[in-house]
Amino acid sequence: MSLRGRLLLIAAASTLTALLFAGFAIGHVLERFVMRGLDDRLDAQVQVLARAVRPDGSIDPARAIDLPDFGVPGSGWAWRIDGPAGHRTSAAGAPEAMTSPAIEGPIEPPGDTMRGPRHGPRPGGDDIRPGEIDGPSGQRLHARETVVATAVGPVTIAAFGPRRVVAAPLREALLPLLVSLAILGIGLGLATFVQLRIGLHPLVRLRAALAEVRAGRSSHVPADQPEELAGIVGELNALIDQNEAGLAAARRHVSNLAHGMKTPLAALALKLGETGRDPDGSLAAMVAEVDARVRHHLGRARAATPAGRSRARTGLAQAVADLAGVLDRLHADRPVAFAPSIPHDLMLAVDAQDLDEMLGNLLDNAYRHARSGVSITATVEAAMAAIRIEDDGPGLSAAAMGEALVPGQRLDEAGDGYGFGLSIVQELAELNGGTVTLGRSARPGWGLEVTLTLPHAP
Amino acid sequence: MRVLLVEDDAVLAEGIARALRAENFAVDVAANGEDGGHLGATELYDVAILDLGLPKRDGLSVLRDWRGAARDMPVLILTARDGWSEKVEGFKAGADDYLTKPFRIEEVVMRLRALVRRAAGHASARVTCGPLAFDAQLGTFERDGLPLKLTAFEWRVLSQLMLRREVVIERADLIERVYEGDADVDSNSIEVIIGRLRRKIGAEMIETVRGRGYRLTAGA
Repeated sequence: MSLRGRLLLIAAASTLTALLFAGFAIGHVLERFVMRGLDDRLDAQVQVLARAVRPDGSIDPARAIDLPDFGVPGSGWAWRIDGPAGHRTSAAGAPEAMTSPAIEGPIEPPGDTMRGPRHGPRPGGDDIRPGEIDGPSGQRLHARETVVATAVGPVTIAAFGPRRVVAAPLREALLPLLVSLAILGIGLGLATFVQLRIGLHPLVRLRAALAEVRAGRSSHVPADQPEELAGIVGELNALIDQNEAGLAAARRHVSNLAHGMKTPLAALALKLGETGRDPDGSLAAMVAEVDARVRHHLGRARAATPAGRSRARTGLAQAVADLAGVLDRLHADRPVAFAPSIPHDLMLAVDAQDLDEMLGNLLDNAYRHARSGVSITATVEAAMAAIRIEDDGPGLSAAAMGEALVPGQRLDEAGDGYGFGLSIVQELAELNGGTVTLGRSARPGWGLEVTLTLPHAP
Repeated sequence: MRVLLVEDDAVLAEGIARALRAENFAVDVAANGEDGGHLGATELYDVAILDLGLPKRDGLSVLRDWRGAARDMPVLILTARDGWSEKVEGFKAGADDYLTKPFRIEEVVMRLRALVRRAAGHASARVTCGPLAFDAQLGTFERDGLPLKLTAFEWRVLSQLMLRREVVIERADLIERVYEGDADVDSNSIEVIIGRLRRKIGAEMIETVRGRGYRLTAGA
C-alpha cells in the first residue's frame, strides 16, 4: 500500500471516528436538553397531583387538576394516581400499565434536593423516576413517576407525555448538526489531501532526482532535502558512490585479467610458432580464438561505463586528429589519403574514451580496407551529430551488412576484421544514445560508408 | 640491426629475442622500466620494443624520457593495452608503432624492419647501391639479381652500410649497432667482417675512411 494511501486511510479513519464521536456526544447533549423540557412539564404535573393526595391516602379531586395539554384525549399527555384508597386518571384517561416496578417498603422523607414548593408529603426531584412505555394508541410515551407515602400505604403518581414532542425539536437540531459535521468532514478530508500532496512532494522530487541519476544526467541526488529525507539521500548518494566504485573496480579487474592473460598468451603463441610444435596450425588457431574472446570481453567491460556519459563533452575534431596520427603510423606503408572534414568546434555528449574506441575501430577498418582514400565528415542534425566514415575499398555485400549489425547476434564468435570492431562500436554507440548504420558510399568507386550518429553537445 | 627489448615477462622476452636473433637482429633485453630506460638513454639502438606495463617504471614515462633527451630511435610499443585511447597516448608519448599482445612474431619482425628503414629515410622497401639490392622488408640481399648468403654479423654490418649508403659510418657507431650489449667485442673483429663482406660483394664497394669509418658506395 502506498505511503499516501496509508496516510489517507489513517487520516480518514481518525477523522470519521472523531466526527462520529462528536455527532453522538452533541446529539446526546441535545437529547438531554430537550428531554429536560419534557421532564419539567411532567414533573410539574406530578407535583400538582402530589398535592392532591391527602395524608390519609384519599385524593382531593379539586386539586387533582390537569395542567395544559394533559386534558386532551389521544394527545398522549396523561396522568394517573394509584393508591390503596383509590385511583384517578387524567380527564383523557391514562395508560394501564406502568413500567416502574412496584416500590416496596417505607418511603424515605423527601430530601433537601427536592425541587418545587414544599407542601405536605410530596416528591423531591430525586424521587421522580423516569420510564418509557407504549401508549394505548401505539405511540411511545415518556413517563415520570413518584411514590407518596400516606397513612394507608404508598400512593403512586405517574405523568405521561408523548415522545414525539421530543423527537421533532431533536430532529430539527440534529439535521443542521449533521450537515455541519459532514461539511467539516469534507473540509478535513480536503485538508488532509492537500497536506499529503504538499507534504509528500519532496518524495516525488526525490524520485525524479533518482531517475536523473539513473539516466546519467546527474551524478548524485541533490543534498538540499527536507530534514527527514536528508538521511535517506545521504545513504542513496553513498550507495551510488559505492556502486560506481564497485563497477570501476570490477572493470579494472576484468581489464587486469584480460591484460594479464595477453602476455602469457603472446608467449604461448610465440612458442607455438617455433618449428615443429604446431605443424597444422590448430594450436595457433586456438590461441587466436582465446585472444578474440579476451578482446571481446575486454571491450565489453570497457563499454560498461556507469552513468555519466551524457554529461561528457568531447571535441570530435581533436579526437579524429589524434586518431589520424595513430592510424597514419599504424598504416605507415599503405598509401592511404585521409581527408577529415569536421567543424572544429563540434562537441559531442560522449565519453572521450568511448569516442576514441568507436572512431578508432571504424577508421581502422576503413584504413585496412581502403585502396587509397578514407574520408570522415560530420554534420549536425537537431540534437544529433552524424559522422560518416567512407573508404574506397570493396565494401560489404548487403547480406554481410545485415549480419554485421543484427542486434543480439553481435558476432560474438567473430574474430578480427569488420565484425569484432563493429559489434563493439554498436554497443558503445547505443550506450551513448547513438546508432550505427552501414551503407554504400555515394562516391563513385567507393565502398563502405559507416554512419555513426551521436548526441551533439551544443 | 640492434634492438632494445624491454619486456618483463621472461618467457615472452626470451622467445622474442630468440626469434629476432634468428632474423639477424642483435637483441638487448631489459626486464624492467628502469633498466630499459637506462639502456635506451645510454646505448645506440636501431629500434626499441617497449612494453607498457613494466615493473619499476611505466613504459610511457620511459618513452617520454627518451624523447625528452632527444633519443630518437624508432620505438614499437608492444603491449596488452589495446584501447584506442591508450594507442593515442602511446603515440603522443613518442611511439612510432603500436602492436598489441598476442601478436605474430613475423608481424613484429616486419614492423621492426619497416621502422628501421623509414628511420633511415627510405620510403620504399627496396634499397639499391650499384649491383647490390636490399629488400628491407624481407631482409634479403641480392647482388646482380642473385641472392647473397651472409652470416648474422655480415648481415648486420651490411644492412647498416646499405641503409646509409654513400655515407661514412663511424667505426664505433658500427660496432655499437652490430654487437649485443654483453658481447665480448674484439677490436679487430669488425675489420674481419668487413674483409669477408668485401670478398662477397666486391672490395671496391666498401671504402675505408682512415681514422673515421666505412662507406658503402656504388663508386659514383
